[in-house]
Amino acid sequence: MSTSNTIVVKTKRFFEEVGDMTYFAIRFLKEVFTAPFEWKELIRQCYQMGNRSFLLVSVTGFILGLVFTLQSRPTLLEFGAASWMPSMVSISIVREIGPVIIALICAGRIGSGIGAELGSMKVTEQIDAMEVSGTNPFKYLVVTRILATTLMLPLLIIMGDAIALLGSAIVENLKGEVSYLLYFNKVFDALKFSDVIPATVKSFFFGFAIGLVGCYKGYNCSKGTVGVGEASNAAVVYTSMLLFVIDFIAVFLTDIFYEV
Amino acid sequence: MKKTASYKTRVGLFVIVGTLLLVAALFFIGNRQHIFSKNIKVYAIFQNVNGLQLGNNVRYSGINVGTVGKIEMVNEAKIVIQMMVDEKTGAFIKKDAIATIGSDGLVGSMVVNILPGKENLQPIVSGDTIPTYSKIGADDMLSTLNVASDNAALLTSDLLKITNKILTGEGALGMLITDSLVTQDIRVILTNLKQTTKGANQLIVSLDEKISKINIEKSAAGVLLSDTLVGNQVENIVSNLERSSLDISETTQQLEAMISEIHASESAFNYLTKDTILPKHIDSTMLEIKAASKKLNENMEALKHNFFFRSYFNKKERLEKKKAKTSKQYKQ
Repeated sequence: MSTSNTIVVKTKRFFEEVGDMTYFAIRFLKEVFTAPFEWKELIRQCYQMGNRSFLLVSVTGFILGLVFTLQSRPTLLEFGAASWMPSMVSISIVREIGPVIIALICAGRIGSGIGAELGSMKVTEQIDAMEVSGTNPFKYLVVTRILATTLMLPLLIIMGDAIALLGSAIVENLKGEVSYLLYFNKVFDALKFSDVIPATVKSFFFGFAIGLVGCYKGYNCSKGTVGVGEASNAAVVYTSMLLFVIDFIAVFLTDIFYEV
Repeated sequence: MKKTASYKTRVGLFVIVGTLLLVAALFFIGNRQHIFSKNIKVYAIFQNVNGLQLGNNVRYSGINVGTVGKIEMVNEAKIVIQMMVDEKTGAFIKKDAIATIGSDGLVGSMVVNILPGKENLQPIVSGDTIPTYSKIGADDMLSTLNVASDNAALLTSDLLKITNKILTGEGALGMLITDSLVTQDIRVILTNLKQTTKGANQLIVSLDEKISKINIEKSAAGVLLSDTLVGNQVENIVSNLERSSLDISETTQQLEAMISEIHASESAFNYLTKDTILPKHIDSTMLEIKAASKKLNENMEALKHNFFFRSYFNKKERLEKKKAKTSKQYKQ
């Protein structure tokens, strides 16, 4: 009895949370197009989320390309299809692996950061103080962060993809004696607009989801210092789940629109 | 304030680099698909496009010159494909160039290969339809292979039967392989053959020596062998002989037929040749005739001296004398 009650309560809470988050998103969409615009804070957030994440994304991307190529090489060699390596790696990275892995990393770094930052501000009543002082905390704290993640994540993903391909090219150059020119020739031979455009479009949604969930969890944090940790943790968990849901929908739509 | 400016610069750089990367990637991809170059539309009609897709490459002499822009089915046996061919390369493609659909490697995607045409023709222009050539598809190859494998199965089963028979010693081939006596016989035959060949060789050598000793040019054989006139004559003789032998043979046949006819019939000749009593009768008759003719002679002599017939005989005698005299004069 108690178990079923718990399930019902949890399900109810989940739906409430989803509804609440939808309202939060609608409020963001309302606030983003209305003045005043917090440009300085937006740029600061872009710097924090974009530039400061670049090193992490670069290292991850480079290792991703390197490892992916090293792992695939023996199988492709077995089939005598080593020349297909650039095509395979580029399509895999640009279409799927690059955006998802980089978004997950950013969810860990940026999402948790936003959740913890806003959560601690909420716990220490800084947000309330901003409201009292006449500043719109939603506009200043939430809109700028969500906008920053939405704009910065696609750029991080593009750069991460490029670095991953460079890592793959280095392996191919060292192990397969394939020149960089030939490698990138083959990469652009294999890639199509239908690979790059959907991946870029979905990365905007990934960025939006990271910002939205992080801000929502931090903005609605209410259990003292424990709540801050929970908000930070929930932001990462929820964002990761949401990223896969968005990815599934994006792939589904791409398949419909680009189906020959 | 200083810090904000620094943020702006860094963020600006970051955004520009990221955007440039995206634009460059899109440009390179677009360039590969000939999106930014001037294209001409060339059409080709196929019965089967073998899985060709929009955006597949179009190759001319092994160079990617464009992409497939449209695939449209006009009716059940006619599929029109539109190829977007680079204008610069299009100048080298002649109107009689042939389009075929092939595979890019063993597991690669499909490509349209344009085979060069004759040099003296006009180059293609936008809207032209070039002739096509359909290669044998994988399905056709597989169906042919299927028939071939069926035949191979039948063939192997027959071969199996034959080998079984051979192994059990049935038939001439089986006996040849399994029977040891036959092997011995063959060995003996081969030995004999070897000896015979050896003897024949010796014979040939000795004949050669003898022939070389003969003065071919001056001998009858030499004349026969070298003189063409003699050859012609010999040929004539032989042909005449042949004809004569044919005539003789014919005559013999006729004679045989006649003799057999004589034997078979009841003719006087048959009677004369076969009857043994008849010669006796003839003998006696001949004796009688002889006596009768003697008597007739006597009678004729008496008749000569007869009064009635004397003048006739005298006249006859005179005429004979006269004839003898004339012939004598003629001879002189």
